Amino acid sequence: MALLEVKNLHVSVEDEDIEILKGVDLTLDTGEVHAIMGPNGSGKSTLAAVLAGREEYVVTQGEILYDGEDLLELEAEERAEKGVFLAFQYPVELPGVSMTNFLREAVNAVREARGEEELGAGDFLKLVRERAKLVDLSADLTKRSVNEGFSGGEKKRNEIFQLAMLEPRLAILDETDSGLDIDALRQVSDGVNKLRSDDRGFLVITHYQRLLDYIVPDHVHVMVDGRVVRSGDKNLAVQLEEKGYEWVREEAAAAA
Amino acid sequence: MPTTLDTSAPAKDRFLSAFEMSNGQALNGKNASISSHREAAIQRFAELGVPTNKLEAWKYTDISKIVDREYTLPLSMNVPDVDASDLDDVLIEDLDAHRVVTVNGRVHNGLSDIGTLPDGVVVSSLADAGANHPDIVEAHYGKYADFEDEAMTALNTAFVQDGLFVYVPSGTAVEKPIYAVHLTVSDADVMIQPRHLFVVEDGGIATIIEMQHTLTDARVFTNTVREAYVGARGNLDHYIGQVESDASSQVQTTAAYHEDNSVFSTNTITLSGEMVRNNLTITPDGEFCESNLYGLYLGKDQMHVDNQTLVDHVHADCVSNELYKNVLNDASKGVFNGKVFVRPDSQRINAYQSNKSIVLSNEANMYTKPELEIYADDVQCSHGATSGQLDEEGIFYLRSRGLSEKRARILMLQAFAQDIVDEIRVDALREHMTHRLRERFASYFDRSE
Amino acid sequence: MSQSETEYLEGVASKEYEHGWHTDVESGKAPKGLNEDIVRYISQRKDEPEWLLGWRLKAFRYFKMLMEDEDSYPEWAHLKYVKPDLQDISYFSAPKDKAQYDSLDEVPDELLETFERLGIPLQEQKQLTGVAVDAVMDSVSVATTFKEKLKEKGVLFMSFGEAARQHPEIVREHLGSVIPYTDNYFAALNSAVFSDGSFVYVPEGVRCPMELSTYFRINEQGTGQFERTLIVAEKGSYVSYLEGCTAPMRKENQLHAACVELVAHEDAEIKYSTIQNWYPGNPETGEGGVYNLVTKRGICKGDRSKISWTQLETGSAVTQKYPSVILKGDDSVGEFYSVAFTKGHQQADTGTKMVHLGKNTKSTIISKGISAGKAQNSYRGLVKVGKNAENARNFSQCDSLLIGDQCGAHTFPYIEIGNPSAQVEHEATTSKVGEDQMFYCHQRGLGEEEALKLIVNGFCKEILAELPMEFAVEAKELLAIELEGSVG
Repeated sequence: MALLEVKNLHVSVEDEDIEILKGVDLTLDTGEVHAIMGPNGSGKSTLAAVLAGREEYVVTQGEILYDGEDLLELEAEERAEKGVFLAFQYPVELPGVSMTNFLREAVNAVREARGEEELGAGDFLKLVRERAKLVDLSADLTKRSVNEGFSGGEKKRNEIFQLAMLEPRLAILDETDSGLDIDALRQVSDGVNKLRSDDRGFLVITHYQRLLDYIVPDHVHVMVDGRVVRSGDKNLAVQLEEKGYEWVREEAAAAA
Repeated sequence: MPTTLDTSAPAKDRFLSAFEMSNGQALNGKNASISSHREAAIQRFAELGVPTNKLEAWKYTDISKIVDREYTLPLSMNVPDVDASDLDDVLIEDLDAHRVVTVNGRVHNGLSDIGTLPDGVVVSSLADAGANHPDIVEAHYGKYADFEDEAMTALNTAFVQDGLFVYVPSGTAVEKPIYAVHLTVSDADVMIQPRHLFVVEDGGIATIIEMQHTLTDARVFTNTVREAYVGARGNLDHYIGQVESDASSQVQTTAAYHEDNSVFSTNTITLSGEMVRNNLTITPDGEFCESNLYGLYLGKDQMHVDNQTLVDHVHADCVSNELYKNVLNDASKGVFNGKVFVRPDSQRINAYQSNKSIVLSNEANMYTKPELEIYADDVQCSHGATSGQLDEEGIFYLRSRGLSEKRARILMLQAFAQDIVDEIRVDALREHMTHRLRERFASYFDRSE
Repeated sequence: MSQSETEYLEGVASKEYEHGWHTDVESGKAPKGLNEDIVRYISQRKDEPEWLLGWRLKAFRYFKMLMEDEDSYPEWAHLKYVKPDLQDISYFSAPKDKAQYDSLDEVPDELLETFERLGIPLQEQKQLTGVAVDAVMDSVSVATTFKEKLKEKGVLFMSFGEAARQHPEIVREHLGSVIPYTDNYFAALNSAVFSDGSFVYVPEGVRCPMELSTYFRINEQGTGQFERTLIVAEKGSYVSYLEGCTAPMRKENQLHAACVELVAHEDAEIKYSTIQNWYPGNPETGEGGVYNLVTKRGICKGDRSKISWTQLETGSAVTQKYPSVILKGDDSVGEFYSVAFTKGHQQADTGTKMVHLGKNTKSTIISKGISAGKAQNSYRGLVKVGKNAENARNFSQCDSLLIGDQCGAHTFPYIEIGNPSAQVEHEATTSKVGEDQMFYCHQRGLGEEEALKLIVNGFCKEILAELPMEFAVEAKELLAIELEGSVG
């Protein structure tokens, strides 16, 4: 049984009749890194949002199985508790919510769901220091409000830091490379690579191939107009970089 | 000798005849300057009458329906008995302070634990101060809380009996906070009118915490007037916690006046009460004054809380900061009217005012009126007001990290209130308030589940 | 502040009024005073239908009640002035004893010249293309241009009096439907004695092909102006309308108490702009000037309708007006963009009311107040979100600029929230022209006057941008003239 199985997924925006995903199929297992590439508006971020449980999208057809369980039946927090983690493209600022409080609540919620004991204050802080190092995040940042006053790079590293803290089984990175300069990109990728493991799967969503130079995927899927039009190995990303999205678009049109 | 207000007469006349009956004799007559204001005050009250919501200043708050009840006026000097165990339930844990307890507006020496104060510092009843420090009382009493346009201040001034008196002499710092525990105890519906006077002389430093409790299910109406004076280079840090029963109502008027280079800060946190009206007027009358006004109101059930603030910049080169926040749940109502007034020639004023509200329920209402009235040109004044819901993006973010929806909402509400809580510079009080806030926020969602 | 800057600012504050001349046109004026006979007289002179006289009389009787009750006079605004003596005003004044002109040929040359001097040629060949003009002098509409061309599209643009005669069914349906005569003191007065004004009707689905514009001129001494404007935009229509106002210099105060009613049906949009430049009174003494006490209100009746008010207020001794929008239709939009410039002894208490009743309604308020000399400038506004107005949104921004230390700038916003899904945001600032901004301009070679003009213009930019293009230049110039002074 695969970790994640997306079958013929059709998704529309609530209140509007616009279909964004038009039958997506995807199977991902632990230990694997899948990349989803595609032009703007192809629906790749929508897929991430639906996986994480955003309510403004309506699934009109198809299903998502996570560990064999119907993921769509679960609330956003239940998915998080079961190990689904979304690194946001635009991490939300939460003025007044301290990083420490937030993380402690999140970590303990997830631990409780796994049947583990709450982390004591000492152990928790130790874990924070250890995991913050993974992404070169200054421990000082954990004293501030969540994402408030963070630079673009700090926000993205903070997402990976939270990934490290919550130890999910399925990590979805939504355009984690957007807005990052090359140094920040390297820091984030290093962090992700350290977190790759046999019992964890990654779904990496990106517009550009350059992220995949650092986080090398096992599978690459190209999404155009709400469908996966092509899948392959890491070389597909390279081809795409050379030929552009027009190439797959035309191919998809020809096939249709 | 308690007097009961005769509700068959119109509200105004009830007070006039109660004043007549007591004839000033049953009232505290220990100090000439306190007594001397009574006649003028009752006359002015007779002219003004009980405020109605036809007046612009009372547009959203109809206090007349609260005033219009059959209250007992406890005019005798006797303080009802209160068990020390009752006190235990309300005291703030781990607060190392000079504790003074008032019962129905009078200082209760038996329950107070004032401890050792620095030389010259006085914490006593206003009645005692009138006898022991008549010159200080004379110099400040009735000087800041003007009753010309304020009927409720006139009423308090006419009936004033007692209250808290704090005096900090020049250059003296009171390290530990002065902690006033105000208790109201009565079997019958009761109206009390405490009068507090705080005088911090030049260079004096003090922190005053006032917590208002009611130990009764009867309806309580408190009409408080508080005057505060801070001399040059002085610093008074003032906190009010309004945690009375839901059958309690109050009109609370604070008039603060401060001189060159001084700082006056006040922070009012309102968690309960049927109808609460806070009038706060600050007059920084000297150069380089700093005035800070903070307030937090967490509405539930049928609560109605109205904060009126005025910073009257009569002098150039001053700064004022104001932040009031409201969270409204159930059928609660919130009113905020903040005014920054910059007089002609009061140049180089920096005045900031902000009012933020979160409305959680369909039945709740928020009325906001942030005003600027500016007659000098070289100023930086701004105000902002927002009203909205919790940020749903933020809630989703929290949920996607595993927090339940309820926990996410509580955390977001705590965050909303955080900058007011952060302004509490007494650790034990901050802890105490944080705990109370957390309980309140949790209760919002427990009921709806 | 440098010496020259001080002098310049003083100059700004004392810059005089340009349109202060008056035209010698013989006028047929009603005797002074306010009574039922005058109301009948006005109605008769205007050859009005019976029902309209009836409406006026009902309004007058209501107003009589108000006059007897001293408390009914609106004194809550931040304004100090001697109440106008309503018995000392003539309520009807028609140039050359004629209450209406049938064609442009009948209009006396003096009148045409008056409007020429104001920069409003009424001959169509001289017109700005794309703008139809209705010119109102004292109580009477002098001429309406491009009428025929508009008619082709079905757009009715004419004086109110004409409309009452020719299209009684439309007028009757809408008159008083947005501002009932019981609304307030001056609305009641206007309803009884209103003289003329403009009427616009845009039929379903029509986009009015040109800007419509009315110029109001008070000319006669001892008269008041009480125009009444009604604009009805049917389903899916669009119209942009602009009014301009001037008056001669008079030692006594003249009363202007207009009512403007806008009705926008489903998917309709009305854009209403005002360039108000009534005589502001003597800048030194404060003597004379127009009392501009006006009620303007629009209703977004249908879903997805939109009403937008833009105003540039530079004139009048006293201004009190709050162009408002009732957002009744779902997804309807209300906007208010305002620049109020006061100097000398001028006083303005102006702002808006946005009343959200429908779902997903949106309103925007941007108000810029500039105060110089001894002027007092107040923003007063109300944002109200009704109990059933789900997802209402409002953004308000009120900025005040002070020029000189004798003036005042005030902000009195009321915010009433009755629905938890409302998001309301209000911001206000008050400051003077920054010394660093002035210095920056000086350093780049600009003199006091240019610098101030530049900065004030920048301050007002987003409002001026809302004016129809044809008038934006005019507005900018007006603002520049207002700022002009003798630089030492």
